Parts: sequence; C-alpha cells; structure tokens
Amino acid sequence: MTLSGYEALFFWIFGLAAIFAGLLTVMARNAVHSALFLISSLISVAALFILARAEFIAGVQILVYVGGVMVLFLFVIMLVNVGAEERGAEEIFNNQRQVTASLIFCLLLVGGMLYAINTGYRGLQARYPATPDAVAAQEILRDEAHAPSATGSSRITKDTERVGSSLYRYASLPFEIASILLLVAIIGSVMLARTLKQEASADDVDPDFESP
Amino acid sequence: MLSFFNILLLLQETETRVDLMKRAAVNPDLSKFLVIGALLFIIGVAGVLTRRNIIVIFMSIELILNAANLNFIAFSRYLSAMGNVNAVAGQIFAVFVIVVAAAEAAIGLGIVIALYRNKETIWVDEIDLLKW
Repeated sequence: MTLSGYEALFFWIFGLAAIFAGLLTVMARNAVHSALFLISSLISVAALFILARAEFIAGVQILVYVGGVMVLFLFVIMLVNVGAEERGAEEIFNNQRQVTASLIFCLLLVGGMLYAINTGYRGLQARYPATPDAVAAQEILRDEAHAPSATGSSRITKDTERVGSSLYRYASLPFEIASILLLVAIIGSVMLARTLKQEASADDVDPDFESP
Repeated sequence: MLSFFNILLLLQETETRVDLMKRAAVNPDLSKFLVIGALLFIIGVAGVLTRRNIIVIFMSIELILNAANLNFIAFSRYLSAMGNVNAVAGQIFAVFVIVVAAAEAAIGLGIVIALYRNKETIWVDEIDLLKW
C-alpha cells in the first residue's frame, strides 16, 4: 500500500491540514473558532479516508460529525456564555505547572508512539516481505476486474457494498447494540438538558415548589 | 581504521538518510498514516489535559476518536492491499466508533448544559464539588 503521484501530494496536503487544524482547535481562544477548526480537521481526515479507499466512512464522517455533532457543539457554545474567554479576561489554559507536566507527558508519549510505529512497521515489512511493486501490481490486477464508471476515468469498486453486507452479516448484534445505545443517548440527553421547571411539571409537582 | 573506511565506503555506496526520507515522502505508505494518526491523538490528549473550557475538552476527545478511526481505516487499506478479503472489518469498527462518539457528544453536552444551569461555569477547575 503506497500512494503515488497526485495521491501522495493530496495525502501530504490533507494530513498537514488535519494536524494544523487540530493544533489550532486546541490553541484557539474563542470556542467557536475551535469548533470551526475542528470541522476543517474532520474534513481533512475524511479526505484521508477517501485516499485510503474508504469512501463510505468519509461520507459518514462528514454527515455525522460535521453535519450533526459539530452543529450540536455550536448550539451548546451559543447556549453557555463564553464572553469572558473571548475578551481575554479569562485564562484558557490550566495553571503553569499542570500545562508543563502535561506537555512533558505528551512529548514522551509521542516519542514512544513514533518509535513504536517505526520499529513495528519495519517488523511488519520483514514479516511480509512482498515488495511494494509486486503488491501494487496485484492490486492493479484486482482493480481491473471491476466495472469502469460512466466517464471511464475510474472504476466502480465494491467496497461500500462489502461494508454494508458485512455490517448486517457479521456485525448484526453490535449494530443492534449501537442502535440501543443511540436510543439511550437520545433519552438521556433530553432528561439531562431539561430545566427545573420542566422537570417539576413532568413529576407532577408544583413548579414554584422549590424556586430559590 | 580499516572498518572506519569500510563504513565510509558503505555510506558512499548506499543511499543517504535524506534520500531514503525523500523517497518515503514521495510514496507515503501505512506508517505515514499511522504517524498522522499519532500526532492527531497527541494533540487531542494535550487539549484534554491543558484546556479549561469543558466544551473544548469535548472537542479534543472527538479529535482523539478521529485519530483512532484513521488508524482503523489505514490498516483496513493495508490489509486489503495485501490481498486480505475480510479487510472491511476496520471500516465497520470505524462506523461503530463514530456512533459511540455521537452518543458521547450528545450525553456530554447535555451534562454541560445541566452543569451550566446549576453552577454557571464552564471552567473545569471551578467544578470542584467532589474535591476534598
């Protein structure tokens, strides 16, 4: 699996965009700016998914994350008051000692992970010593078995079809559990976000009973 | 002294480190996906540990989950390139991670709203009700 040509170019563009947007998400003073940078990071990662031939997951990522979750975030940012942060009156990071300790921890962690990736990937290559060119040639052969698209410039893969059928065949129980989880999340968030007055009226108590 | 010259000669024969890095950058493979995933993960961890705004902490958690998704997808692609027919399992895991992330965001933001209604703050260092 090696990308080449324009794929490699777009890989670096979107990878660096994802990392920089992620950094700005953490560093931005305004929470709305954070949310917008997180949206651009998520879209860049979706582009990386497309480069890794996971078009369905890229679509789900944009629809669910950018279209659903981030809109929820923006609504909550509007509901809570973050004016002090924007004006620069409040410090956005924890105190100095906590920030230093966590940055040292993060540096150690990223060093360890990069080392693990390097040695692990070298071990993986040693274990499956197929040369990249041979793997690429086999993959081109497999790709050419697919039907060409209408424009003829690309081929229609069966990846999305396989994701759907595997989801219902091999992962049907986790799928049902996920739907129950979403149901619980809907009910739970409605219960959590209701006001004291709504709570009292649902419990059939006088709403002015415990107004402080 | 001889071995030293040998090392010098070997270095002249083989590619330098810069050449190797250049070739690896022109043809990014699985390890580059993993490196980008690791960096996104670390940025998310740093955000969770350093920020005071609870909403930004939630956003950092989304960043962490997204980095995990990137690893799942990269390994799925790697396995399918190696000829594994069941490589879509990584994509299915990514779907479930996205579902759990959506549920977590809904519940977490509900908690944030309830908390803001009671304590009038979104700074995590001021939410110290359980602190001894």
